[in-house]
Amino acid sequence: MKKHWHKLDPTLLERMKSEVQSVFSNLHFYPAKDRVFIRGSFPVIHEGKILDRYSIEIELPRNYPESLPIVREVGGRIPQTADRHINPTGEACLFLPDERWKVCHPGSSLLDFLNGPVRNFFVGQSLVELGQPWPFGEWSHASVGIIEYYAELLGTKDLATILRYLDYLSKPKIKGHWKCPCGSGRRLRNCHFEELKDLRTKVRQDDAQRSRQRLISLTKTLETVGGGE
Amino acid sequence: MNENEYLREILKSQTLAPGSEELKTLQERRAEVEGLLREQFHESSPTIRYGGSKAKGTMIKEAYDLDIISYFPHDDTSAGETLEEIYNNVRDALSTKYYVESKPSSLRLKDADPSNYGVDFHIDVVPGRYTDNSKTDVFLYRSTGEKKRLKTNLDTHIRHIKESGLIEAIQLLKLWRVRNGLRVKHFALELLVIELLKGKRSWVLSRQLKHAWEQLRDNSETISIQDPANPTGNDLSELLNAGIRSELSSVSERTLQIIHDSGWEGVFGPVEENGEDDRGRRIDMLKGAAAGIATPTRPWFLP
Repeated sequence: MKKHWHKLDPTLLERMKSEVQSVFSNLHFYPAKDRVFIRGSFPVIHEGKILDRYSIEIELPRNYPESLPIVREVGGRIPQTADRHINPTGEACLFLPDERWKVCHPGSSLLDFLNGPVRNFFVGQSLVELGQPWPFGEWSHASVGIIEYYAELLGTKDLATILRYLDYLSKPKIKGHWKCPCGSGRRLRNCHFEELKDLRTKVRQDDAQRSRQRLISLTKTLETVGGGE
Repeated sequence: MNENEYLREILKSQTLAPGSEELKTLQERRAEVEGLLREQFHESSPTIRYGGSKAKGTMIKEAYDLDIISYFPHDDTSAGETLEEIYNNVRDALSTKYYVESKPSSLRLKDADPSNYGVDFHIDVVPGRYTDNSKTDVFLYRSTGEKKRLKTNLDTHIRHIKESGLIEAIQLLKLWRVRNGLRVKHFALELLVIELLKGKRSWVLSRQLKHAWEQLRDNSETISIQDPANPTGNDLSELLNAGIRSELSSVSERTLQIIHDSGWEGVFGPVEENGEDDRGRRIDMLKGAAAGIATPTRPWFLP
């Protein structure tokens, strides 16, 4: 049987623990069978002052770092609602997985993750609790958020174009003689080839596949609703 | 400030003042729960009162769980023939207003309002039935474990904690528990502290805490606790299972290391002001924190 990441190299977990605990002394690591749980309180610190604290649990899944850590607020303080970006099982939706290249790029550490998206999320939660808006805005829920993200990334709101890009981002390889997804009718090599290659280094294939499937389901639902009218 | 002065300042910052917002909210909720139960079980006239840390005087700002006991007369059956029926009927009654999470002997109340769904009120309702007319001992239903019935006595628990002379150590260890995300129940932790600090009540706080952590670090596998209200009858081993013992041991070890390396502030942090936070100031500071973020992210939601 294949050994899990934290058992393959036991020093890896020790190094990770020591790095995290040097900053977050109240977070503790509990290796389980095929995953690792981290529990404790997460302080929101700014200029050396603790502004807030959240009771959290982080699950490093069996295929970490391939899969993102799962963050849960376990103090029962944040409502488990869409508007607070906590799903009914208590999991926090920190960001859209497709934009992980921005905040969880290969080589980044768990400490980077805590200091980045986790901290951003809880700064936002504290502000929202005080009646303020999310400091950097929020993506709409589910598929609409995916459209918003790609509309911003690609500079187009056209769903068909977004779907064509997602199709190319989902493929293991792309060829220069294919039609460009921008809709110009030109060959890819004569149009957005370089941009697409760059995007493919950012957006992961599996994330693009999932988003594409969601958008296809959305368009089918819309067609059904439209057809029924 | 020496270490014991520091610990007292931490305790002071964790005190819930009689008129504090948290206490007012808890009192309002208690009245709400009591009203609901009295309405639903008006034929039974249950005894409804505070239990838990509120009654024992161990409540702190960061862990203000409130137990509301709802004990029915021993000869009353209108709330249920069996203990399990009483537990289920009380749960159903509470479910008309709250999102209720069933725990082994109690019912945790959370917000059922769609806009605030799942927010924990930190209130446990404990249904039970008095064993006789003296209204002292009670039987509680237990949904887990082999024995489905616990015999206990709230007043004995309260006395056990209050007379231990260890309230401050208990409060600080409860703060340590919550700050470190430990899963040990408050009730078990209180009993543990009293057990570990038996004969040490005259010690200064810092020495008491260090001793408790040393014991947890070195002897976590063998330490046992007993229910003071039913020492031989109630098996509390489930409250200290292997996972919880291991957590207590490893976090105690780390805590002692932190004290050694960086002092007590490494454990409980700087002394924070206790008072109504200035809302405007808090917003400004949080906005300052947001403004300093180099890589902003926006939250998403997937049902």
